[in-house]
Amino acid sequence: MLKLLLIGLKDLKLMFRDRAALLLMLLTPFLLTLGMGLVTGQFSGDNNSGISDIPVVIVNLDNDSLGNALVDVFNSDDLADLVEPASSQDPEAARRLVDEDEVAAAIIIPAGFTQSVIPQNNGAAPNEELTIEFYSNPSRPTSAGIIKAILDGFLARLDEMRLGGLTTITQLLASGRIQPQDANQVGEEMGERLQSAAVNGETTAITLNTSTSEQETNEFNALAYFAPGMALMFLMYTVSYGGRSILAEKAGGTLPRLLVSPTNSAQVLGGKVFGIFLMGAAQMLILIGASTLFFGLNWGNTLSVILLVLVAVFGATGWGLLITALARTPAQIGSVGSAVMLIFAMLGGSLIPLDNLPAITQALGRITPNAWAMDGFLTLALGGTLTLLSPPILALLTMGILLFLISTVLFGKKNLIQK
Amino acid sequence: MKKILAIAWKDAILRFSSPSEWLFFIILPIVFTFIFAGGVPTGDEDNRIRLVVVDQANTTISQEIIRELENSTSVRPDVLSLEEAEEQFDAREATAVLVIPAGLDMEAIQNGTAQLDFRQPPNNLDASIAERAVDTAIRRVSSVASAAKMALDEAKARGTFESAEDEQAYFTQALELAKSLQADAPERVTVIQGNTPDDFAYDPQANVSAGQLITWVFIPLFGISALFAYERQHGTLRRLLTTPTSKATFLLGTISGQVVMALVQMTLMVLFAVFAFKLNWGNPLAVYIILTCSALAAAAIGTAMGTFIKSEGQAMGLSIMAGMMMGMLGGCWYPLELFPSFMQTIAQLFPTYWSMQGLLDLLLRGAGVTGILPEAGVLILFAGVFFSIGVMRFRYE
Repeated sequence: MLKLLLIGLKDLKLMFRDRAALLLMLLTPFLLTLGMGLVTGQFSGDNNSGISDIPVVIVNLDNDSLGNALVDVFNSDDLADLVEPASSQDPEAARRLVDEDEVAAAIIIPAGFTQSVIPQNNGAAPNEELTIEFYSNPSRPTSAGIIKAILDGFLARLDEMRLGGLTTITQLLASGRIQPQDANQVGEEMGERLQSAAVNGETTAITLNTSTSEQETNEFNALAYFAPGMALMFLMYTVSYGGRSILAEKAGGTLPRLLVSPTNSAQVLGGKVFGIFLMGAAQMLILIGASTLFFGLNWGNTLSVILLVLVAVFGATGWGLLITALARTPAQIGSVGSAVMLIFAMLGGSLIPLDNLPAITQALGRITPNAWAMDGFLTLALGGTLTLLSPPILALLTMGILLFLISTVLFGKKNLIQK
Repeated sequence: MKKILAIAWKDAILRFSSPSEWLFFIILPIVFTFIFAGGVPTGDEDNRIRLVVVDQANTTISQEIIRELENSTSVRPDVLSLEEAEEQFDAREATAVLVIPAGLDMEAIQNGTAQLDFRQPPNNLDASIAERAVDTAIRRVSSVASAAKMALDEAKARGTFESAEDEQAYFTQALELAKSLQADAPERVTVIQGNTPDDFAYDPQANVSAGQLITWVFIPLFGISALFAYERQHGTLRRLLTTPTSKATFLLGTISGQVVMALVQMTLMVLFAVFAFKLNWGNPLAVYIILTCSALAAAAIGTAMGTFIKSEGQAMGLSIMAGMMMGMLGGCWYPLELFPSFMQTIAQLFPTYWSMQGLLDLLLRGAGVTGILPEAGVLILFAGVFFSIGVMRFRYE
């Protein structure tokens, strides 16, 4: 056991002395994560899909109850985190703000809007052609969509109010419960009641029971996707690098030399495999630590993250061994290892989210440790706990065990370690 | 000239001595191009917040609610079974879940017993946006019933009905009236799309073909540095000193060989894009001007890198890292238009940006030879600067 540990630790030490290897194991994934953060605007707050503090400008030319009510909706406490409303009296200036990409949308409430919806005492017919202008920013479709949805919500309440009022009065008149001369007064009373109900967003005919779960979710940061993606991609490099060291030691004669010492071949091979495992685990933990430190990334529950790292490295080590068992020269492991790293990165969702890929690619991706480990890391980053991790952990363990068995058989056939 | 050819030929033999080189030369680039073309963000996909809906009622009313949610500008409904929905909600894959319980119909609305369940995590902005959208959807669906109910309540406040049938008839009549009034409801909002400069021409297959082509060609050209390191480590470079070969001849031989190989590789990838995606690359002369200038710029950077780097392993690692970083930051992996504005400016520091823009000019903007000359010029400038550094610093030992 001690020998196993010593051989493993020796390989780990060698890895830290190999500057060329460190370049690909640590620096490259770190820089690629940083680059991803930069190009997706994670560090600049210039994120196109970010949905908080959406800037919107409201031009209230109506200055009557409904226009003011709409302004109040956007300024309500409920929406304080979501929108950042500004007001203006100049429609042209507001539209210009959209055109210059300063705001996600401009809402222009025309003068007389309230009167066009609510019939007035003076008996003037409502001007039904007056509409609120929603001037949308096409380069911020998500934010503009949310602003539009808030506006739609307000208008739906307005429509409900109008429908209720008109139906009630018409029916009361038709059934003779009120006289035509009373209609105006009844309408006015109802109007007042309904307006306050509409503005306060009172309940609908269908009750919506909202239940809030106790589990807090972390706010999702796109880096929480890229950081594990890149780390897992280069984990595949590390395991093939470790495999390469087995063949390199054989070619260099240090492996047969080890067998002259009272160490059997199983111990030697076990030690080398343990070395690969240690290298992978060290790489992953350093990358996780660095991204937490430099990018303030929250990976989730620490113990669960460590457990997931260990099983992910175990699965990946299995692949490293298989490549080693199939290759003849260290150079072959190098090139096949790099190819496998790239293919797994693509199939396993390290470079682009698996959801964006065709179903067949997604299914194929399940042979990679990348896909399973990504699932686990995302679950943890969103606040999930160990209980939710069983599918990825089981899959990675099974993958590792299967590949270890196959590799052992192949190693045996190959007589890799002999005096 | 003969020497240059001999050196170039030797490099080609060395490079393809392992069959696995074909993997990187053409197989992986093609596989990557093919799969990426279906997977990169285009900037115009459905960005609405996903709302998981469980429809246990399966009535006209529940379907109307789902239809209203589909029309929402902030959420997109995804109808799942209760089991799937709960599983996704627990695994944090679904931000919010709307459950429409069995028995949601007009009668339930009329009785005031109609209820929906909305589940959300605490303090989640997405979930509160979804809740708002659900509220709007049910308001729209139930507004007719609400109006009829209101009419009935007001009527009852002014005297009782003679019989339950009378009451129901009054409700039905009000419902019909409300329906016709709703059908005639005026539009309250006019949507106008602003003139924000956004409309970038984007074609995933064109972008990915150009982007992958550049990435896969830049990495091996940066790998020229590894070639130098290899020759230096093995002492073959020193051996060259004993022959009447000048520095310039050696460098020219190495570089031209790699550039020709890169051009062959790029030609294969261009042809793949023509056959697989029916891409029109435009004027062939313009295409080769950009491809040659790109290859020269990358080869020059590889040469300059080779004069700094000591071991082959370091050179390999560094060329992969530099190639991937420049590919990503130069807009070869994701559309540049989705970058924050300051990153769009920084991108111009990389030759990959100019190669990409040159190829996109040809693929998407219909440019000809004159249209790509600015990009070609910048790439030649890159080549000149880095060749100079490389030649100045080049040592045989």
